[in-house]
Amino acid sequence: MTWFGAEIDGPMIVVRTIHFAAAAVTVGALMFRAFVAEPALRSQREARAIVDSQIRSVAWTGLAVTVASGLTWVLLLTMSLSGEGPGEAVMSGALRDVLNLTQFGLVSQVRLAFAAVLAICLTLQRSALSRWIGLGAAVGLIASIAWTGHAASTLPKLGYLHLAADALHLLAAATWIGGLVPLALLLNVGRKYHLLAWASLELDAVRRFSSLGIVSVATLIVSGLINAWILVGSFRGLVDTVYGWILMLKVIVFTIMVVLATVNRLMLTPRIALPPGSEAQCYALGRLTRNTVTEIALGLLVFAIVGVLGTLHPSAHLVR
Amino acid sequence: MRRSSLIGIIPLLLLFATGEASAHAFLDHAQPRVGNKVAAPPREVTLWFTQKLEPAFSTITVTNAAGERVDAGKARVNGNQMSVSLRPGGTGTYHVTWRVLSVDTHTTDGSFSFEVGQ
Repeated sequence: MTWFGAEIDGPMIVVRTIHFAAAAVTVGALMFRAFVAEPALRSQREARAIVDSQIRSVAWTGLAVTVASGLTWVLLLTMSLSGEGPGEAVMSGALRDVLNLTQFGLVSQVRLAFAAVLAICLTLQRSALSRWIGLGAAVGLIASIAWTGHAASTLPKLGYLHLAADALHLLAAATWIGGLVPLALLLNVGRKYHLLAWASLELDAVRRFSSLGIVSVATLIVSGLINAWILVGSFRGLVDTVYGWILMLKVIVFTIMVVLATVNRLMLTPRIALPPGSEAQCYALGRLTRNTVTEIALGLLVFAIVGVLGTLHPSAHLVR
Repeated sequence: MRRSSLIGIIPLLLLFATGEASAHAFLDHAQPRVGNKVAAPPREVTLWFTQKLEPAFSTITVTNAAGERVDAGKARVNGNQMSVSLRPGGTGTYHVTWRVLSVDTHTTDGSFSFEVGQ
């Protein structure tokens, strides 16, 4: 299918979008647990148990979708390389060739191993060690996506910088956008359960997430600039190509997300510190929850845009 | 050089993101050079691409003026460089047809010709 002169591969874009979103939610949930939920709720066993259970549900669901979509991605690629249908591509040995003879295939095997380690750690979740190993496996799972994209084929030595920037970009995006899901669930806990001193715990968690978000946004900006410098390369590359326009759309959506996050931090978060049950506090909490859900929707849009971008020629190779 | 252009980077300061963008390998240059004339039939043809290639899924065929294939053996791939040895094929227009898979899983293909003359 051709769209504005660019070849669009529908199924591949859908599968990639689902895969990025699911991986981000999986990693974001575990980063949220390690850096927001556990520190904020350390003193409250009941609250910690409820939130931990929510986070593990999110992580398990995310992991299942990540693995399913990842396998589908490998299969779709094999089908497009061999020109065969799904059954034929597996039986004819084409899938085996892609898995063993291409970097993408080898990286996919490594990523599946990360997913397996993470699944084991989520099962043995009582031990602190297994939680940290699980977090490490999740970080590996998302960062290794860099080795399936353009950064993997950029020639050295720029290629090493590109891989590093891309891996950090993926991790930061997952931490922030993926972390919004457990945040939205946490904000809803007060409505479902009556917990002691919940308001102050909630405020602490929101502040911690906000700080994590700031670090993530800063990382996204710096790594994004590096990637754009390598892939777009010039102002003409930005404004004269389909790739450039879609990239600008991504930046616009990202900017809207940052504006919402800033409103959350500067205006709404201080107000949820007001006396619990007061009108101002309830309004702020409701607004914060709605903004968070809006950010999640925008984050999904970003992943869809990235799903499209991945199938296009970067401007740097079209514009000199 | 586009990469050292600071003017290009200033608008890029407005950019916050890119990410999982992929590329296709384009032919950067070849030996013998695209469209050029060489005095004697070359022993091999070498192509340089803009991206790193996957050896298992990158192929090249070379035909001489009579339409006979003159590439001998499997294409050798090293990073972004692909080459194939040639059998003697006489004079005239040689056609090179290539199909490559870049490491980021995109396929591109193309062709070009060069002259072998007296």
